[in-house]
Amino acid sequence: MLRFVVRRLLSTIPMVLVVVSLTWGLIRLAPGSFYTGEKALPPAIEQNLRAKYGLDKPWYVQYGKMISNTARLDFGSSLKYEGQPVNAILWRAFPVSAMVGLLAYSLSLLVGITSGLFAAVRHNSKWDYSSMTLSMLGISVPTFVLGPILVLFFSLTLYWFPPARWDGFATRSAVLPVLTLSVIYMAYIARLTRSGMLEVLRSDYIRTARAKGLSETAIVLKHAFRGGIIPVVSLTGPALAGLITGTVVVERIFVLPGLGTYFLNANLNRDEPLILGIVAFISITILVCNLLVDVAYAFIDPRIRY
Amino acid sequence: MATTVMLVALALQACAPTAADSGYFGKTDPPPGQTLRYISGPEPQSLDPQVGTGIVEARIYMAFFEGLVIYDPKTMGPYPGIAEKWDINDNFTQFTFHLRNNARFSNGDPITAEDFVWSLRRGLDPKFAAEYAYIAYPILNAEGYNSAGSFVRNKATGAYDLDPATHARRFVTRDAKPEPGKEFVPIRAEDVGVEAMDPMTVRYTLTQPSPYFLGMMAHQFFMVVHRKSIEKYGNANWVQPKNIVTSGPFRLTEWVPYDRIVGLKDPMYWDAANVRLEQIRFYPAEDTTTMMNLYKAGAVDALENHCVPLPWNDFIRQLKDYMDAPEEGNFYIQINTTKPPMNDIRVRRAFSLSLDRDALARFRRVAKPLSVFIPEGIYPGYPKMKGDSFDPKRAKQLLAEAGYRDAAGNFDPSKFPVDKVEYTYNNADPWRQVAELLQSQWKQNLGITVPLKNMETRTFFTSRNKLEYQGLSRSGWFGDYMDPYTFLSLFQTPTGNNGTGWWEKSYVDKLDDANRTHDPMERYRKLGEAEQQLLDSAAVIPIWVTSTDWVKKPYVKGMYANPGSLFAWKFVYIEHDRSKWEAPAPEPKP
Repeated sequence: MLRFVVRRLLSTIPMVLVVVSLTWGLIRLAPGSFYTGEKALPPAIEQNLRAKYGLDKPWYVQYGKMISNTARLDFGSSLKYEGQPVNAILWRAFPVSAMVGLLAYSLSLLVGITSGLFAAVRHNSKWDYSSMTLSMLGISVPTFVLGPILVLFFSLTLYWFPPARWDGFATRSAVLPVLTLSVIYMAYIARLTRSGMLEVLRSDYIRTARAKGLSETAIVLKHAFRGGIIPVVSLTGPALAGLITGTVVVERIFVLPGLGTYFLNANLNRDEPLILGIVAFISITILVCNLLVDVAYAFIDPRIRY
Repeated sequence: MATTVMLVALALQACAPTAADSGYFGKTDPPPGQTLRYISGPEPQSLDPQVGTGIVEARIYMAFFEGLVIYDPKTMGPYPGIAEKWDINDNFTQFTFHLRNNARFSNGDPITAEDFVWSLRRGLDPKFAAEYAYIAYPILNAEGYNSAGSFVRNKATGAYDLDPATHARRFVTRDAKPEPGKEFVPIRAEDVGVEAMDPMTVRYTLTQPSPYFLGMMAHQFFMVVHRKSIEKYGNANWVQPKNIVTSGPFRLTEWVPYDRIVGLKDPMYWDAANVRLEQIRFYPAEDTTTMMNLYKAGAVDALENHCVPLPWNDFIRQLKDYMDAPEEGNFYIQINTTKPPMNDIRVRRAFSLSLDRDALARFRRVAKPLSVFIPEGIYPGYPKMKGDSFDPKRAKQLLAEAGYRDAAGNFDPSKFPVDKVEYTYNNADPWRQVAELLQSQWKQNLGITVPLKNMETRTFFTSRNKLEYQGLSRSGWFGDYMDPYTFLSLFQTPTGNNGTGWWEKSYVDKLDDANRTHDPMERYRKLGEAEQQLLDSAAVIPIWVTSTDWVKKPYVKGMYANPGSLFAWKFVYIEHDRSKWEAPAPEPKP
């Protein structure tokens, strides 16, 4: 197991370098620069800016510097936000996105697994139909529709929660973004749990457990649950990585100072160091989350060994 | 996506109880004390007034920094700031400012003429690379210094070459090679035309007459910054709340990027006795629906300009919250006059005559139709020039005269080379809808289907400024200072923001002549002549004047719908007495 983890961790290094190199190339291919705007700059000022940020040097020198910065996990300063180091931005924005993402995913797991479990155990019952109908609705309604609906009802009609802005983790401002973000994952998890559980509940070893005279609760929770939850664990890697590294739509609707907001604006602003920093950070997070999921398989499913 | 969000929210909004009965939108409970919560738009580029270039940054800087003059809260004309008075010489080449003797930085250091000299030299330093440094180019040798340029000197005589137009020393840019017998003398910061005459007097010497210079001095680039803190912490870090020393009515206490910028009233400020707000809070936000939601819920007290989503406008503009006024900005179509068929003035004019500007402005709701280039209603006394009115019949005649006609001599749309003309625009709201409307009008009135070309915003600007578009392109301009010259100077050079390829020496001569004119009304008349020449060239098709389009709660007083939505925050206050909400705020006194 340890060798597997170390090997996977080492493999992230070249993968991240490839991802940032491709991103760097794509940024360079796009016309325009961080200083391009409605008002054109005189050539002398463009020259000043290019000299200040080293953009007047040959491409291979700039590429070498970028790779060296990435290897040291130091992405330099943002071009748009003068003087703000990319690492400082990451440290400031990541906790906001991570907190909203973790809360949303925890809520999704709690509600999704519970309703999926009930739907599977009471297969073809009213509970099954209603929870699956609701989950289909949850999957179908995008966050940019759900967010405003929740704001309209809870913020502008009942005045329970603020319609936007972030006051911190344990405040009322976290409720609506977390709810908006979690609904779609609740729905996915409920459906995955149900289908996973149904498959396991029909397997031979569950039949054997029933033949042994075990109670239905023990069969479901002790024997079937671990196998039935595997699809949810598979989803968790990419889903959690995506959630904790910022969700552009929800962060924009609720004005959250998270990574998604920075990433969107960095792209619109052609802010190369910030784009590369966030891309590298997201790549590493996705690779680590997937590794954690692979490790979790070994604990959940006794048939899987590394 | 933002549009979809907005439309969905709007549809739902229609079902929600509104506050129309009270005449205001949403809650009207003032915050306790004297605190203003303002949605300031996108996250500012920097809190350094010589770095940030946009109007969003300008509003924030006006809380924390001040220059020799500030914007008049109602008209945006020059209004005394750190300078209590000023003298201008007869030919508008020397501006002398007399500073107040009680002006202080937030740490108590006195603000002197030397601080203004240092601030300008810093902003122009090529290594500092300020994007807006070019606004100071009218100052003697400012452009040469900022370009890392050199004077040209005769080796034998030691005499400097002079520019024949301005009689100032000629300069060459950093890439130039010396001619035989000549040598280059690098331009130093000390060569820039700014000097401290005494601790309380600073003088700016300009390259050529510039009557608009006084109004320009309210721009953020000319605000005074604190030398010692910048030298101690460096250009990048001095703006952090723990390091920054400010010069405006508020001092910075908190800055959480993408979340909030907080200022407290500065007791060191020279006019602190008249600053009524105790605290000012700027909240960045970009989605207009979110801004309006925060406003309705009473979480903020005023919003930035252009904040009302288009579909909401008919409802919001009936309310007392709505702040509407013409803006110092226009939307126009620029034409690439260097390539056929648009190198023919008759074709350009035909495309202008075939547009119904009233219909276009009605669609936009927050705009007024414009047939001339200078926004109307902004500069009192500026003459109204003659632009193109809606005349499709004449447009067809012109196209027929240009050769696109059938055997009978009538205009034939099938002869027009549509493959050589397209309308290019960037993919931001509302430019797609505007492009479709323009296309339908040309189709309807000329029978020509102009292809539309949509580009990512920065790609679009790059392509447009290099004249890489063919035919027509979206354009617009917001004034840098309160003078028609800020619009007319776009076409003073063939490059830069011109973007049309049209350039005439006689046009430049008219502008120069106007700027040498002492009488303001006579100067406006001459500028008007230059504008008429531009309109006659049909290199641009003016469409509309933009509008301020923002909202504020009734208890926020002293914020006016001025042409740039730039507010002198020291005049703003929260009125807790409901009986005074409808009454006008007291007139500000210099």
